[in-house]
Amino acid sequence: MPYLGSEDVVKELKKALCNPHIQADRLRYRNVIQRVIRYMTQGLDMSGVFMEMVKASATVDIVQKKLVYLYMCTYAPLKPDLALLAINTLCKDCSDPNPMVRGLALRSMCSLRMPGVQEYIQQPILNGLRDKASYVRRVAVLGCAKMHNLHGDSEVDGALVNELYSLLRDQDPIVVVNCLRSLEEILKQEGGVVINKPIAHHLLNRMSKLDQWGQAEVLNFLLRYQPRSEEELFDILNLLDSFLKSSSPGVVMGATKFFLILAKKFPHVQTDVLVRVKGPLLAACSSESRELCFVALCHVRQILHSLPGHFSSHYKKFFCSYSEPHYIKLQKVEVLCELVNDENVQQVLEELRGYCTDVSADFAQAAIFAIGGIARTYTDQCVQILTELLGLRQEHITTVVVQTFRDLVWLCPQCTEAVCQALPGCEENIQDSEGKQALIWLLGVHGERIPNAPYVLEDFVENVKSETFPAVKMELLTALLRLFLSRPAECQDMLGRLLYYCIEEEKDMAVRDRGLFYYRLLLVGIDEVKRILCSPKSDPTLGLLEDPAERPVNSWASDFNTLVPVYGKAHWATISKCQGAERCGPELPKTSSFAASGPLIPEDNKEREQELPDSGALMLVPNRQLTAEYFEKTWLSLKVAHQQVLPWRGEFHPDTLQMALQVVNIQTIAMSRAGTRPWKAYLSAQDDTGCLFLIELLLEPENSEMQISVKQNEARTETLNSFISVLETVIGTIEQIKS
Amino acid sequence: MSASAVFILDVKGKPLISRNYKGDVAMSKIEHFMPLLVQREEEGALAPLLSHGQVHFLWIKHSNLYLVATTAKNANASLVYSFLYKTIEVFCEYFKELEEESIRDNFVIVYELLDELMDFGFPQTTDSKILQEYITQQSNKLETGKSRVPPTVTNAVSWRSEGIKYKKNEVFIDVIESVNLLVNANGSVLLSEIVGTIKLKVFLSGMPELRLGLNDRVLFELTGLSGGKNKSVELEDVKFHQCVRLSRFDNDRTISFIPPDGDFELMSYRLSTQVKPLIWIESVIEKFSHSRVEIMVKAKGQFKKQSVANGVEISVPVPSDADSPRFKTSVGSAKYVPERNVVIWSIKSFPGGKEYLMRAHFGLPSVEKEEVEGRPPIGVKFEIPYFTVSGIQVRYMKIIEKSGYQALPWVRYITQSGDYQLRTS
Repeated sequence: MPYLGSEDVVKELKKALCNPHIQADRLRYRNVIQRVIRYMTQGLDMSGVFMEMVKASATVDIVQKKLVYLYMCTYAPLKPDLALLAINTLCKDCSDPNPMVRGLALRSMCSLRMPGVQEYIQQPILNGLRDKASYVRRVAVLGCAKMHNLHGDSEVDGALVNELYSLLRDQDPIVVVNCLRSLEEILKQEGGVVINKPIAHHLLNRMSKLDQWGQAEVLNFLLRYQPRSEEELFDILNLLDSFLKSSSPGVVMGATKFFLILAKKFPHVQTDVLVRVKGPLLAACSSESRELCFVALCHVRQILHSLPGHFSSHYKKFFCSYSEPHYIKLQKVEVLCELVNDENVQQVLEELRGYCTDVSADFAQAAIFAIGGIARTYTDQCVQILTELLGLRQEHITTVVVQTFRDLVWLCPQCTEAVCQALPGCEENIQDSEGKQALIWLLGVHGERIPNAPYVLEDFVENVKSETFPAVKMELLTALLRLFLSRPAECQDMLGRLLYYCIEEEKDMAVRDRGLFYYRLLLVGIDEVKRILCSPKSDPTLGLLEDPAERPVNSWASDFNTLVPVYGKAHWATISKCQGAERCGPELPKTSSFAASGPLIPEDNKEREQELPDSGALMLVPNRQLTAEYFEKTWLSLKVAHQQVLPWRGEFHPDTLQMALQVVNIQTIAMSRAGTRPWKAYLSAQDDTGCLFLIELLLEPENSEMQISVKQNEARTETLNSFISVLETVIGTIEQIKS
Repeated sequence: MSASAVFILDVKGKPLISRNYKGDVAMSKIEHFMPLLVQREEEGALAPLLSHGQVHFLWIKHSNLYLVATTAKNANASLVYSFLYKTIEVFCEYFKELEEESIRDNFVIVYELLDELMDFGFPQTTDSKILQEYITQQSNKLETGKSRVPPTVTNAVSWRSEGIKYKKNEVFIDVIESVNLLVNANGSVLLSEIVGTIKLKVFLSGMPELRLGLNDRVLFELTGLSGGKNKSVELEDVKFHQCVRLSRFDNDRTISFIPPDGDFELMSYRLSTQVKPLIWIESVIEKFSHSRVEIMVKAKGQFKKQSVANGVEISVPVPSDADSPRFKTSVGSAKYVPERNVVIWSIKSFPGGKEYLMRAHFGLPSVEKEEVEGRPPIGVKFEIPYFTVSGIQVRYMKIIEKSGYQALPWVRYITQSGDYQLRTS
């Protein structure tokens, strides 16, 4: 940083720039300019010497020119009137005999980002498009897009667009790709650049001449082209086959996506593509670049969602290495969890077991949760490993194991006995809220099978005064009341003490209310308490959610090779919620807020977001598929917002219903097989404001009725009502067709 | 892909240099980057992709620098990371080492390069050989102002300029195979693979047409050469430099190309066939709490007797509070490197079939440390010249140029360690 204040610096530099002696000495002149740029880079406001810098642009020294132009592009938005003075020099440079200078001047001029510059750059751009040097044409082609953006909502210049389309046949590969990029930007309101048959075939033939960036980009543009015949389609696939072998991971991914989408009507071709991309993806998973490795792992997970066995024989590739960063290890553990099968389960579990004692508590816990996930299929082996882990008496391990146990007995009741035997002694190694809650819940629900359950709970009751987490107290109240129902003699006394404490001394109102509630409930009579408190102790049907019907490749093919798999679908949904308007941007008519003046940051997004709720109508967003885990978590955390019973007579075909729901953008997360009684299904939908609906359908053929429960993540009655009416209509229609 | 802007930040997250390519994301958004990174790191949820509101940050770290690309679009992640790595590669070729100092010292060239690498958020010229033709390190010297556009910027073959001339026309071919190995603490091999690369150093005049012949099994089967004494290799995941005509390779497995000038990587391949670990390590690490650690390491060369592994380095982990080291080695020398908490046992030359031993003894403080330590693996580095694990061979290299000169190809084979780890218990 300079010792002087920035004002003094500006003054001094201004003087130096004006000094004719310095101006005469090229080396000194350039040094002063370099100092200006250095200060600019450091974030000092150097806009004060704008005038002097403009003068310095008239030079034959190309490096000095570059620096000056860089300076102008940075400060032009602040000094638009002064910047116009520089236009002259720029225009002159645009017809310099040296193509480097022409290109530089044109690029800088198009990057000025200030109002009023359009009229000056139009002609130089048009000249540039016809320049004999490809270096200049590249710049000019992108300049068209920059000019269009500066215009804001201006109309598309048809002649310019035609010129760009004809430049797709340019000799220079970068000019060709730049044309596509530029057209895409200019025509974004009309759905982007049009790829018809001649263009598609031309691009296909030029592919091998392009660099890796161009290839990846062209593959993406080619997605728009619909081959006319099956024969043409397979010709194209053959032509692009070798790009699956490219040394650039970006091109491999682009080619994979292209194949998946183009072959969307040919499932066997898709499967074949996924088999062939296995090698490149595995290689990327052990790439030297951690980031590319991370991206590849995310995509492997995506593929595993549809083809669970796809990478099973390569499971060893996903074993963690000591020095890998955390995010890669976590992804690998997730992958291992998903590719497990009868053959590799032994080795995978052994490996995961090793991770459970890792020094990093986070990683160890992730590994334990992964074993918990595998336990839903391979219950006995996993419960044994988890039980052994309890023997280590490590706090961070015990708490996660107990939480895993809680989830497990709920889904797989057959392991209850083993879990109950493992529990005694755990209480000594649990300090955190989550772990305590899980343990107390288990003791309450399955207390009759755990001999020392009352004693453990008694300890918690004794120490309730010093308990810091209200959630633990709530759990304790419920658990103790439940245990009291099964083992009254041992619990009566302490239940009294706990209720007394909660009602008389507790400061947290929620805990106090819960205490009062149970107290009054007990006054009504023990049978009533039993009726209300004793619910099922497990719900294996929820396990349905863990084993969703195979998700078709087409459900995610369009998201392949974007940020969606990298963030994870659930996380992406929350991110795009705040970007909601941006994603459907090109389809929406542009608002007038995109004024020609002012910064070009699209602030209109915010406005669109505010506009949407006012429109009143419910708009469900297509393809908003939630993961089963995310659904389950949200489902359990929400209360039922609406419940209703619809009549249902006659036959029932789940597939028809699923399709009908799909049409109105209600996604099926999981459902029972046809003919199961009672039949259950879990659905989800999201509207354009981000409001999420979770639905449970319960069909009991004996009663001829369909019970609908809807949960909503934001309490909005209006949208709820419109949603219910949509759902009613769909179910009603299907019912009528059937009967 | 489309990056809105690219930033180079110092280790504290302060922008050293930046380039706003598209102007659709405010440059001030970068201020959120470092706090976000720190927060995620604390939560244990750090990832190379972060988001703040509408902006996505895709970042990589290189020595003491962060390279960050911002975008508001649902971009293609692998392409953006590839671009950032390419940027680093280009900078490294200009400055040898890329770090905070080199960015500060060369900010003019950095600006110039950023200007050429990308325009409006799209990668443009990223080949450093071509960039070096018109952005020179000696930019401090005054130019005449009449600099010509280098021909490659406008060439149809983008990776080679016309009119290259050498007195002596030569090609050097390096076949390098790296062995990746992961062995469990109980001695079972978890992972063993070979990653091979063929690198070329080309000193050829004009526009030569090259053809490389390998003992590729698929090719042998195609031409009926298989069987008999012709040993062939089955290559997996073959990837080529852009210059190789992929369609010809797909048709008849011919590797034909017009090479770039100078150094480049022609192709890479993988082999996942299980091979015997070239250097096998058995170790016993006994820790006697409060008093000492005793380490015994046995290394065995499991390759042909005629071959010799050079520069073997075996690094064995020791507890961070160990002191007063003592070593005994049957060959080579051992050194304690406290800053990495390892003992490095170096053996200059290690012939195949031999077995060597090292013992180390460390003292431990009587007061034990609080925090638990991880169990780092034993790592091995080595290099075996004149030998490839896979048995791959260059059968011929044909060089044809229209001027008809004679050129000589030179071939060198080398096998080296890649990620070679043996877990300890």
